[in-house]
Amino acid sequence: MSEDIVAPLAGKIIAINIEAGQKVEEDEEIFIIEAMKMETSIYAPCDGTIKAIKVKKGDSVEEDAILGTIE
Amino acid sequence: MRPYFEQMNTFGTEIKKGAIKRTEENVEAFLDAESQIDAEVARVKNAGFSTEKINARGEMTVWQRIDYLVDEGSWTPLHTIYNPANNEEGTTNVIDGLGKISGKWAVIIGFDNKVMAGAWLPGQSDNILRVTDLAKRLNVPLIWLVNCSGAKLPEQEKFYANRRGAGTPFFRHAELEQMGIPVLAGIYGTNPAGGGYQSISPTVLFAHKNCNIAVGGAGIVSGMAPQGGFTTEMAEVLIEKAKENRAKPPGSVKTHYDETGFFRYVFEEEKGVLDGLKDYMKDMPAYNPKFFRVAEPKEPAFAQEDILRLLPIEQKKVYEFDEILARVVDGAEHLEFRAGYGPEIYTGLCKVDGFLVACIGNRQGYLGKDYPEYADYPGIGGKLYRQGLIKMNEFVTLCGRDRVPIIWFQDTSGIDVGDIAEKAELLGLGQSLIYSIQQTDIPMMLVVLRKGSAAAHYVLGGPQANRHNAFTIGTAATEIYVMHGETAAVATYARRLVKEKESGNDLQPIVDKMNELAKSYYDKSRPIFCAKNGLVDEIVKLTDIRKYMQAFVGSAYQNPKSICPQHQMILPRIIKG
Repeated sequence: MSEDIVAPLAGKIIAINIEAGQKVEEDEEIFIIEAMKMETSIYAPCDGTIKAIKVKKGDSVEEDAILGTIE
Repeated sequence: MRPYFEQMNTFGTEIKKGAIKRTEENVEAFLDAESQIDAEVARVKNAGFSTEKINARGEMTVWQRIDYLVDEGSWTPLHTIYNPANNEEGTTNVIDGLGKISGKWAVIIGFDNKVMAGAWLPGQSDNILRVTDLAKRLNVPLIWLVNCSGAKLPEQEKFYANRRGAGTPFFRHAELEQMGIPVLAGIYGTNPAGGGYQSISPTVLFAHKNCNIAVGGAGIVSGMAPQGGFTTEMAEVLIEKAKENRAKPPGSVKTHYDETGFFRYVFEEEKGVLDGLKDYMKDMPAYNPKFFRVAEPKEPAFAQEDILRLLPIEQKKVYEFDEILARVVDGAEHLEFRAGYGPEIYTGLCKVDGFLVACIGNRQGYLGKDYPEYADYPGIGGKLYRQGLIKMNEFVTLCGRDRVPIIWFQDTSGIDVGDIAEKAELLGLGQSLIYSIQQTDIPMMLVVLRKGSAAAHYVLGGPQANRHNAFTIGTAATEIYVMHGETAAVATYARRLVKEKESGNDLQPIVDKMNELAKSYYDKSRPIFCAKNGLVDEIVKLTDIRKYMQAFVGSAYQNPKSICPQHQMILPRIIKG
């Protein structure tokens, strides 16, 4: 079962710490969004494999935008 | 009220494997930063003569005296690297902190007899005033370990006189005594002039057999009226007189035990003095803790080491404040006040060692698209908005009514700014919080987890609330400044940049100045700078935050001047609804 990884806030993607196909553990930091001078980390919602990454470093994203999927 | 407090709501979650993996670097960075603080503390401990040299004279060092005096594991040092005058000795030459003696909390302070035989140094009187303020705020005994050779004469102009100068602590001692707060003094060594008043101003004097206290010491007694200079003949006379006085200094035990009776007790051994203090402390006024406890003490539900993973040392990284709080209170239990309202701020009742304590802290991260409700821009934790300020005003006021001590946790970039924020009354609400704090008359403690900045540093129980703030601790991630250095550089040079641009001049010199200012802000906001200059009272390890909370709460409930019966408290009822 795959699950979308969504942006909790609007901002700029300043780090992508994973690659498609990579195995991750729950709560591992996978993206960092910069907004309002602060860095918000996006953590893996569960143990799994990153199925897809839908943004690239430097992208501006809106709140609730899909950043990737985990399976 | 047992149903309210015995088992409160639990909060906090176990750290998961993924989080452990991603926070390894943070743990390393924190431990490295804490080791730098340790090095500064070691430098102060090793100042002056070696322990071996002092022991060879038959004396204990101040550190050994404190170690022998306090109950094991209770020493909670403060102001260890405080040195605001940047003395070459690297210390203000007094060592102080909270500690338990014979089971009771006391503020303890002693002269470092390894450094110039415990001389007065610049910055020392301000250190002592922080300590007398602490005893006054917590209403606990002040214990002195006097061993003071008097003023460091070549630098007397820096501390002898002035409003908060070296004589001020004697007035503070009198003030404490008038308030019913005992000041006990164990006295060692030679204590002339200033040292004499350090010895005589406490309430009960415990003397070592070799000590002496006097208005003037051998040096002054040997002197003569100023005659416009010195000659070798005069020097010969001085030598003879100095030898006589050295052999028989003024104010010895023979004078002040046998004749004046100033010394209540005299002890043969150094440890005997400390045993005397320990024995006296058994009789100092203190409630049995059960009088105030709302539940049996519980250990924290999570490891203190977790905090090394939960608090990012990188200032821009957001984190869950509630997870940190859950680590430092009894059993990860709390009763949150107005959850959901003013989401940038946590307010709630927790327990420390079974005592009720109010906690207030900045939450971090995005606050949702509809907050703050008065603005069309998003809110971010660390900043203060209208609801958070109103909530804190209410909570602090109710804590005052219910006589619950408050522990503040700061990591703030300031209060929301701009005309929209002005219309939302934030300026007035910030000062209202100061008013609310001032009217409570309850002790408070502050932990600056990371950032203390702008007016928010004041209103969130900062040390400026010095009738209420007993002490402030920082961490290896603490930084305190009016604003970020780069913001300050923009504020200082923005207009100048415009002017230079319009004149067609090279901008690089101004840019260089901006970078210099930003660097200066960085250097002057580091944890060691903050502790050295008194912006915090101690930098502590993350795993020791709870230990300081225990010392604060235990002291605050030892002998409070005002009581709210548990069954008459209103805050828990308001929380329950």
